[in-house]
Amino acid sequence: MTAFVSVDQVDKVFPLGGGNEYVALKGIDLSIKKGEFISLIGHSGCGKSTLLNMIAGLDLPTDGVVLLDGESVKRPGPDKMVVFQNYSLLPWMTVRENITLAVDEVMRDIPKAERDQIVQQHIDMVGLQPHADKQPAMLSGGQKQRVAIARALAIRPKLLLLDEPFGALDALTRGNLQEQLMRICEENHVTAVMVTHDVDEAVLLSDRIVMLTNGPGSNIGGILEVDIPRPRKRMEVVKHPSYYSLRSEIIYFLNQQKRVKKIKARKVSVIARHGLEKVNLDIGYVPLTACAPVAIAKEKGFFQKHGLDEVTLVRETSWRGIVDGLVGGYLDAAQMPSGMPVWLSTGGHQEKPIPVVSSLTMTRNGNAITLDRKFYEQNIRTAADFKRYLRETPNQRHTLGMVHPSSMHNILLRYWLAAGGIDPDHDVQLKTIPPAQMVADLKAGTIDGFCVGEPWNVRAAMEEIGFTVATDLDIWVGHPGKVLGVREDWANAYPNTHIALVKALLEACHFCNDPNNAAEIRQILAGPNYVSTSPDYIHLTDPIDFRRDPEHPLSGYAHHQFFGQGVNRPSRTETLWTMTQLARWGDTPLPRNWMEIIERVCRVSVFSIAARELGFLDISTFSRGPIQLFDGTVFKSDTDPIDYLNSQAIKRDFSVAEVVLDARPTPRVA
Amino acid sequence: MVANAGTRTSGTNFSESLRSFWKKNGENIVLPIIGILGFLVIWQFASMAQLTKLPPPTSLWTDKQTQELLLYPFMDRGGLDKGLFWQTWESLKRVALGYTAAAIVGIGLGILVGTQPKVNKALDPLFQFLRMIAPLAWVPITLIALPNVQTAAIFVIFITSVWPILINTTVGVQQIPQDYKNVARVLQISPTKYFFKILIPSALPYIFTGLRIAIGLAWLAIIAAEIVMSGVVGIGFFIWSAYQNNYVSEVLLAVVYIGAVGLLLDRFMAFLQHKILPTDSRS
Repeated sequence: MTAFVSVDQVDKVFPLGGGNEYVALKGIDLSIKKGEFISLIGHSGCGKSTLLNMIAGLDLPTDGVVLLDGESVKRPGPDKMVVFQNYSLLPWMTVRENITLAVDEVMRDIPKAERDQIVQQHIDMVGLQPHADKQPAMLSGGQKQRVAIARALAIRPKLLLLDEPFGALDALTRGNLQEQLMRICEENHVTAVMVTHDVDEAVLLSDRIVMLTNGPGSNIGGILEVDIPRPRKRMEVVKHPSYYSLRSEIIYFLNQQKRVKKIKARKVSVIARHGLEKVNLDIGYVPLTACAPVAIAKEKGFFQKHGLDEVTLVRETSWRGIVDGLVGGYLDAAQMPSGMPVWLSTGGHQEKPIPVVSSLTMTRNGNAITLDRKFYEQNIRTAADFKRYLRETPNQRHTLGMVHPSSMHNILLRYWLAAGGIDPDHDVQLKTIPPAQMVADLKAGTIDGFCVGEPWNVRAAMEEIGFTVATDLDIWVGHPGKVLGVREDWANAYPNTHIALVKALLEACHFCNDPNNAAEIRQILAGPNYVSTSPDYIHLTDPIDFRRDPEHPLSGYAHHQFFGQGVNRPSRTETLWTMTQLARWGDTPLPRNWMEIIERVCRVSVFSIAARELGFLDISTFSRGPIQLFDGTVFKSDTDPIDYLNSQAIKRDFSVAEVVLDARPTPRVA
Repeated sequence: MVANAGTRTSGTNFSESLRSFWKKNGENIVLPIIGILGFLVIWQFASMAQLTKLPPPTSLWTDKQTQELLLYPFMDRGGLDKGLFWQTWESLKRVALGYTAAAIVGIGLGILVGTQPKVNKALDPLFQFLRMIAPLAWVPITLIALPNVQTAAIFVIFITSVWPILINTTVGVQQIPQDYKNVARVLQISPTKYFFKILIPSALPYIFTGLRIAIGLAWLAIIAAEIVMSGVVGIGFFIWSAYQNNYVSEVLLAVVYIGAVGLLLDRFMAFLQHKILPTDSRS
């Protein structure tokens, strides 16, 4: 079906005084199908209303074209009726006269009696018969808006445009009107575009939500499909599994826009000191037990010790925030899942390769796969049991949560499923959820299990919501967990700062590894600045077997490794393996120049310098050797990745491509 | 029985409502009376104590000739010797003519200027220039330019009162909310309908403000005009000739008439405004 409304490469520029101009919108592309309800959402001043006005023809684009039903929109007309934010009723006319004026003007061809009937019908539709002969001044805000909607619908527009229609109303009236509008739109198959700043309103009413970035030069930052079936009820949509993920997606987007704006306004200069190029660093982390080295380096003063006087830790709730922060340049460095540097470097993020280097692995282990308690009661203890169960229940859709496509959790979960004969894309469904939200989602029943770092597996087990079906010991002992990642251009611009940062964190890792410090670390991590949970859930050593199942004890518990031979040094073999797994599931192509990519991602030299300068001579050169996985596979540094991928039974169609990493000029770093 | 009971309650209601009316409005009635009486008393004493040559307020009654004018406003001895009612009436007729002309020209031109920015640019400096000329300054020009004293007087009224109407109408038209214009654009309302259904009702509060200011100015102008244009029946010339003949108390009486008429005219315009404008666009 062709587009009913199409907005094609539209720019809008407003001239300012003194010959300047303001670019409000840049390169807007949007097509709307007949009968669709679209919301435009974004911060104030992002140009939502300007876009709406251009669709209405009240304003013309500076560049590009708006087409309605194949015809270019050049001027306003009744076929694209607007419901204005402030109702725009004529105060000297009664409700009936206001609607009649519109109907009489637009439908001149039909007899007067019929027109009056249309007016009456629409007054009844919005339930305003008792007020039909009152002037707008005597009506409440909600009633006025109902008149405006009735007036708009009475002239049978092809397209209904609503500019924050419920913005000025109280919550109760708003809710009622939203339901009325939804019903009317469904009954009359109205195509509608609505500007709003209310996230819940957008999710409730829309088929698609268009999110606009902040101006100047706003464009479409993302479009969300709302897959909640109609007819929708205000009280029921909140129970739909997609509701909260859509909502949090929009809120994440809006918050991100706000942060970008703040960062643009801040303009912090680079502070150089102690022979370091930059000592004011913003380091991103996600609250997990595995963030211990970052937290300790800050709390125990290891950053200052190595000259990094002004380190700010930036808490992100999801790995996506880390990606945006690093790509957007407002994070200097970040704690990352071990697959993220190579994922970013091979174009995992919006298919644009962004060279990211890693010179320190901060943790190993500390992950597990948790399944819903109900599977435990079905006697599922292994991947094979799970496969049998899936085969017996083909009509049920099972969703498993993971934290990011590039995280070790996704890779391990997929590996574990595939090794058990379960196709992770076809037999089950994987969904990206922020770590801290996993337990809540499992409890709500929107997911059936997850693979995530601690403390969330322990917590799900202790709260008896789920059970740990596999730990690192069952998959890959000593797999890399979290690494330190920085952009390559950053590493090139601040080489000494980079080494100092690795030193500070490596020393923190060393601190974390000492069992005598465990109690202190648990207290720090449990605090409100970090994981913000009870210390009971945070384990750095073996926890009790909380499954309380003597017949099927856990095969063991691989606790976090923070420091040691082969723990912290970036491993080329592991990077290669990660690359094959990302290619296996179609996240990124397998780079034909994989040797080059590995050399650029793994900055072993920085690690070696840092370790030597700290006096950790034994770990500075130690190499881990081949990877041994639970299914008996051995992956060596000289394994041919293409042969390896071809030998896998369950995989997507992977592609092999040259990944061109341009040596970007050093940009200004925030 | 029922009727009786009804009457009784309405009887008590009447005295009660009178009491509550007095409670609410008593101050509004008593205080202005005290103020005016106080002013008159001070004036009376000042006059009796020879502080001013102005005759005291009581001279309106004590002066034989003034007393006659006060008691017989409707007398008509032909020529210029007419009662004060007729004098005022003649002036009012002149004002009505000039003011009507001003309203027609002011509103019409105001709408033109308000809707056409180019016309506005062309004429605005001229309007601002002409508007600053005092009514008295127009008198000699009009006396030369126009064939007779009657027309000249009317023209002076016109030229004095046209500006507030013109300027307020212009602003009113320019200030039509963008929302209303957008509604008109979206509905593609025909120009005639736009004029009557949107432009006029929307600008009406401004137009009325202009009309109300203008009526005061028109009344001010007639006095000035008549004082200078001798030989016409009218309250302005009456004052002038009374002054020439040193009938000071007659001047005072005429001033009371002028003030009262001005007040009535303003009240009348306010009443019209109240009647015509919709509730929520009343300024």
